[in-house]
Amino acid sequence: MGVTILQQYPVPENKTGTFVIDLLTKRLLALGATQQGQFLVDCESYLSLPQMGPTKTVHVLHNSEQPASVFSILESGSKNIHVVADSLFDLLMMKLSNIYTSKKQTKMESKGTRLELGDFCVKLGSVTMNQSFKGVLIEVEYRPCVMANAVWGLLREFLQGLLGPSVPVQPPQHFLSRMNEIYTPIDTIYQYLEHFSAFRKSTGLRSAV
Amino acid sequence: MAANAPPMTATDSLSQAVKANIIHNQEYLLQGSVLDSAVEVLLHRLRGLCDNVDAGPETFDDQEVCFILRDPNQQALPSMLRVRKALDARDMPYQLRYIGQADGEKNRPTVLRSVLDIACSGMLFEFLNELGCRIEYEYSVKGYMFRKGRMKITVAKVFKIPQSSMAPEPISQSYLVELSVLAPTGQDAIGEDMRAFADQLRPLVQLDKIDYKRLSHMAVT
Repeated sequence: MGVTILQQYPVPENKTGTFVIDLLTKRLLALGATQQGQFLVDCESYLSLPQMGPTKTVHVLHNSEQPASVFSILESGSKNIHVVADSLFDLLMMKLSNIYTSKKQTKMESKGTRLELGDFCVKLGSVTMNQSFKGVLIEVEYRPCVMANAVWGLLREFLQGLLGPSVPVQPPQHFLSRMNEIYTPIDTIYQYLEHFSAFRKSTGLRSAV
Repeated sequence: MAANAPPMTATDSLSQAVKANIIHNQEYLLQGSVLDSAVEVLLHRLRGLCDNVDAGPETFDDQEVCFILRDPNQQALPSMLRVRKALDARDMPYQLRYIGQADGEKNRPTVLRSVLDIACSGMLFEFLNELGCRIEYEYSVKGYMFRKGRMKITVAKVFKIPQSSMAPEPISQSYLVELSVLAPTGQDAIGEDMRAFADQLRPLVQLDKIDYKRLSHMAVT
């Protein structure tokens, strides 16, 4: 497990998501990448009952890269608290369904092809909310390093080369305070949640970063 | 090609596991207690009866915090959540346990209740607090664990959590003895096996069904 950066790729007008993903896949294959299966990251959010006071949201995420884990992030005001649990956590959320109700219509998914290129692992995800297409997310992982600070320059260069100069590459919000800490799978999950929340808020396709 | 098939969603694989009935979500339980002065005899007897004879019994030293999550509409009974942390192995994950209501069936040989055991890491206490759970009580429990097939037998002493750096104070002059099995739904035959095993310990400790409804009316100090 290395450092991962998640980047949105704006879908150009009058182009489809499939077109963008095909284009990026071709670029990667031309560089010598090999296809290594598929991936899936999903997120379901549960809201507390209004009688409980200020609304709290429990986001439950799964990542096919860590198939035995469930990642849960509780959003309460400006605070985010996370727990990494084993797969029965999903059953616990069902048991608490009288207090925390699932917002099924905002269920998000990012899925697609997983490619490997030397030390990099690239995932081209097409993002859907409740089955409707919302945009494209690109995940790039540099596997030999676990410190964001040491590898951010390399990741930016790689992404810039892959996506072209029209897409600005910025360090994700979540990274800023954690540049010198050891990267763990929950850091990837925070980045997905950040993007999923932005996708939920946008109507139609999300264009700007 | 299987390697290129899209991964199954976690929800789908979990619902498959539920359908196949392979999730251990039922706990069969008998409880009893033995005085400190008699515990050595019981341990000796268990060493003879249980599986892990060569290695001797496993010891454990856990802290358990009991949380309760109330339904604001008061339509459902409050949910019980317990967090266990090993004090003798601090790098182990927390064990979060959901405990449902006991089924209350009179003819059943053991208590039967739904249970979910979930290993967790991260900020679990803050998470539960923000979720709306309130701490009811906490204690530490230290003792021995034995195995006999699928059955788990624990003989342990319950301590109050000390306020300062004082040594923990035992709650009573006895040890709590528990005989339990976690199994998927519908494996009632195990209850009979547990009864048979409990009978073998009968002269030393009386393992029984504890009626939680009666206990919940008593004040907890």
